[in-house]
Amino acid sequence: MLTLLAVAISSFGTWMIFNAQPDAPFWKKQIIGIAISLALMLAVSFTDYRKLVHIAPAFYIFGLALLVVVLIPHVGLKINGQRCWIGVPGLGQFQPSEFMKIPTVLMLARYFGRPRSTALTIKEIVVGCGILALPVGLIMLEPDAGQSLTYFPLLAVVLFLSSVRMWLVIAALVLGTASVPGMWYVGKHTGLIKPYQQERINVILDPENADRRGFGYHTWQSIVTVGKGGIKGSAAKGDASQSALKFLPEPHTDFIFAVTAENTGFVGCVLLLLAYAVLLTKLIHGARRAPDRTGMLVIMAIVGGLAFQIFINVGMALGMLPVIGVPLPLMSAGISAILSTFVAIGFAVSIRLRRFVN
Amino acid sequence: MKFEDETQNLKARMVIIHGLVIAILAVLGVRLYYLQVVNGDYYAERAENQRIRRLRIPAPRGAIFDRNGKLLVDSRSTYNIILSREDMKGRDWNALVEPLAEGLGVSPDILREHFDEASRQPAFEEVTVKEGAGAADLAWVDAHTLEYPMLLVREQPQRRYPDNGVLAHVLGYVGEISPEQLKQPKYKDYTENPYHPGDIIGQEGLEATYDRYLRGQDGYREVEVDSRGRIQRELADVPPQPGQDLVTTIDLDIQLAAEEQLKNSPTKRGVIVVMNPQNGEILAMASYPTFDPNLFSQRISTPEGRKEANALLRDPLTPLFNRAIRGRYPPGSTWKPLMATAGLQQGAITLKNSHLVCGGGITIGNKFTRCMGSHGAPDLRTAIRVSCDAYFYRLGLKMGLDGIEKMVDEFDLNKKTGVDLPHELVSWTPSREFKARFNPRDPEWRDIDTVYASFGQVYDFVTPLASLRAHSAIANGGRLYVPHLLLEARPVAEVGPFPARPRRVFDQTEPKIINIPEDQHHLVVDGMWAVVNEAGTGTAARINGFDIAGKTGTAQVVGLGKDTGKNKDHSWFVSYAPAFNPEISMIALIENVGFGGKFAAPAVHNVYEAYLAKAHPELADHSAETAKNNPAAQGSRSNPSANGPAH
Repeated sequence: MLTLLAVAISSFGTWMIFNAQPDAPFWKKQIIGIAISLALMLAVSFTDYRKLVHIAPAFYIFGLALLVVVLIPHVGLKINGQRCWIGVPGLGQFQPSEFMKIPTVLMLARYFGRPRSTALTIKEIVVGCGILALPVGLIMLEPDAGQSLTYFPLLAVVLFLSSVRMWLVIAALVLGTASVPGMWYVGKHTGLIKPYQQERINVILDPENADRRGFGYHTWQSIVTVGKGGIKGSAAKGDASQSALKFLPEPHTDFIFAVTAENTGFVGCVLLLLAYAVLLTKLIHGARRAPDRTGMLVIMAIVGGLAFQIFINVGMALGMLPVIGVPLPLMSAGISAILSTFVAIGFAVSIRLRRFVN
Repeated sequence: MKFEDETQNLKARMVIIHGLVIAILAVLGVRLYYLQVVNGDYYAERAENQRIRRLRIPAPRGAIFDRNGKLLVDSRSTYNIILSREDMKGRDWNALVEPLAEGLGVSPDILREHFDEASRQPAFEEVTVKEGAGAADLAWVDAHTLEYPMLLVREQPQRRYPDNGVLAHVLGYVGEISPEQLKQPKYKDYTENPYHPGDIIGQEGLEATYDRYLRGQDGYREVEVDSRGRIQRELADVPPQPGQDLVTTIDLDIQLAAEEQLKNSPTKRGVIVVMNPQNGEILAMASYPTFDPNLFSQRISTPEGRKEANALLRDPLTPLFNRAIRGRYPPGSTWKPLMATAGLQQGAITLKNSHLVCGGGITIGNKFTRCMGSHGAPDLRTAIRVSCDAYFYRLGLKMGLDGIEKMVDEFDLNKKTGVDLPHELVSWTPSREFKARFNPRDPEWRDIDTVYASFGQVYDFVTPLASLRAHSAIANGGRLYVPHLLLEARPVAEVGPFPARPRRVFDQTEPKIINIPEDQHHLVVDGMWAVVNEAGTGTAARINGFDIAGKTGTAQVVGLGKDTGKNKDHSWFVSYAPAFNPEISMIALIENVGFGGKFAAPAVHNVYEAYLAKAHPELADHSAETAKNNPAAQGSRSNPSANGPAH
């Protein structure tokens, strides 16, 4: 069921990539990517996740090594000022920061997966933060703020489910919410938030009056593209799309949701969101039936990561959040992203399968 | 849960996460609903607007021809080389001066001036490097696109008017429609071919009167562009429909002859209008000084052009002013044929007894108003021929103010002529109201005022065109035609969505008929014939074999005795020919030169020559000889003029 849903969403995504850039090879690559991912996912599914968790430190160290390698000039490819790709002859490029999520999840699950009866200790929290800090720090060096942001929900979910004290959770939430305006004020006046970053936020607060040709351009064009889709979408109308005319930037990756919205309208988008809801719900159900705490944590961390990415990406496409380069799981073009998502789901399947075997 | 771990509400915490996930997706769904369902149409329009561009294809404006098909005005493409300020950001203007001046053949000083000016102007205003660029300049720009990417070539359809201000007041000029004009009902409510900001429209003269004929229907290309404005495909291509060509009643040869006369006059100021008295077609309308309409159609966008235009507006000699329809001058003795016709008509004098005393003048109360000569008791024919003022004093007194007012009304002198030019003024004519306004200290109308009004001074101020129209009615036996300049607007075929536009002609209504009995008409015309052909005041106009009838006039600018220098009298001559079967009528006014017979009459003579050369070449040869004799003839007749103030 999970597999089918994942394949369905990613196929839908491939169609949208085709719509976004019919002349570019992205959609063909995506099909190949899905095929490879599917094979790898099945392999993971039929492997006992506990064995993999057991050797998680090896994966983790290997991943960190790749994150270091990517920083080396000439090995790591610099695209748009970010050095986050490693070129592999014959295969293209891949993004270690995408893959690194899996070992990080496994490490966290391994560490927090022991049966527990008490609340988290400070030491445990510090170790958890440490596991996260290493990859996040390396990714920040690329620099890729968006990608590193997606690591935080992994830890947050794990901590939350590992009996972190409720008052800590609430305190963190309150503190975080309260500090936003304060940080905005301080950042604006000290220059830490640069004018273009301010503009990216202004366009969300007031898209009509912001600088729509400058730094607000992406957000505004995305809003227009989404809105233009209307109820049924404009795919049938034969109009040249926003992406074909290059009004919409990065249509096949970051703004794939806007393309979906333009082509399939409200109906298509709601169906997609429903599909995500079903997928995530299925995963959570799987977590509940996991044979052990480790399995549960793996799945829930994956859920947290996926939900967070969906929220950031779609929120950005809908002009609710500033532009942050985070791919939409299963939809955005990119073999690395599709591969890591499928593998993550593979783990969930493996964990579900284990409950019978156990 | 398979594993037993109910501590810390694990189950509840998972439910919280699940709820959070669903909530997030729901929030996204709501936002989606807002963007796509609630505001979908709005954003669709926004997308459309940035995707589709309508590129206007300006329609060529109709050309203007003279009655013989000679081209007077057309539009041609000219090219301007401009600097794009966008590409000048952060570049040194001064470094450009030398290479551009050399490459394009412009003075470096002028360029520097332009650049200086540019630094003070708003950023959207273009910086002109060279106007009216030639093929070599365009090639130079093309060859240097890499070095000077900021140079752009702009095509501009420009209206080309004749050089030297020929026919300027009649043709008028075009200019950009002003925001005020856009609000006027004349432009705002014309839905057939709507006016838009930036449109070039006729602002003066025939260009303004017949703007709707001359203007074409703009076509357009509707294209789809990408985010960089590059055209992706064409959605629609609607070719423009050119405007209608105008054929005017003007005969360019006669016009040029008329302008020549004014240009060569001592003050270089005046009016000559030539008309066909049988239908009101204007063959020539010259007003001097003149101006260059090209200034308004071509150079007005440059600082120098604006300076030039302001100088024209402030010029005390009013070169922009069409004296033929806006100049109000005392008619002087050219008023007399009208008085004579009305006097006979009203019975103040009769054919059998048209004698009135001259007596060298008249005494009203204790004031003696003299005649310029002593003519005994002349009959009407003689009175016209020698321009006896005292005769007309008495005629005016017999007719009374009411009689004069009736005459004014009959000859439409208190109305616009209806000529197809904008801004025509109405003449001022004698009336009790006019005196009250004119002389508030003595508002009562007195007999002396009637005397003044009866010989074309003090209370009479007519436009040359109104006067010519009235005299043309005397010439043709009482038919007042509306003078006009439009012969036809040529038809234009249907183009795309624009329907064909039919041929148009001037909408000449039936002429107003003034009842002048044939014998009375004959007497007045005979008197006017004698003016030119029988030792009258206007013999300088005489052409052998072509019976010109006319009347001189000398309009007082200031009181008697002060008529020297720049306050000299205006010189008039009004005429038509052949006297008893007129095919052409003509009026001339030369400002501040003195006696009518000495300046206006010879000017008219020479314009008649130009007419004869075309219409009656057999007479033209003949008259060339008389022209040679003219100076001598003129001298012999200049004596009477020294005697009196008004003719």
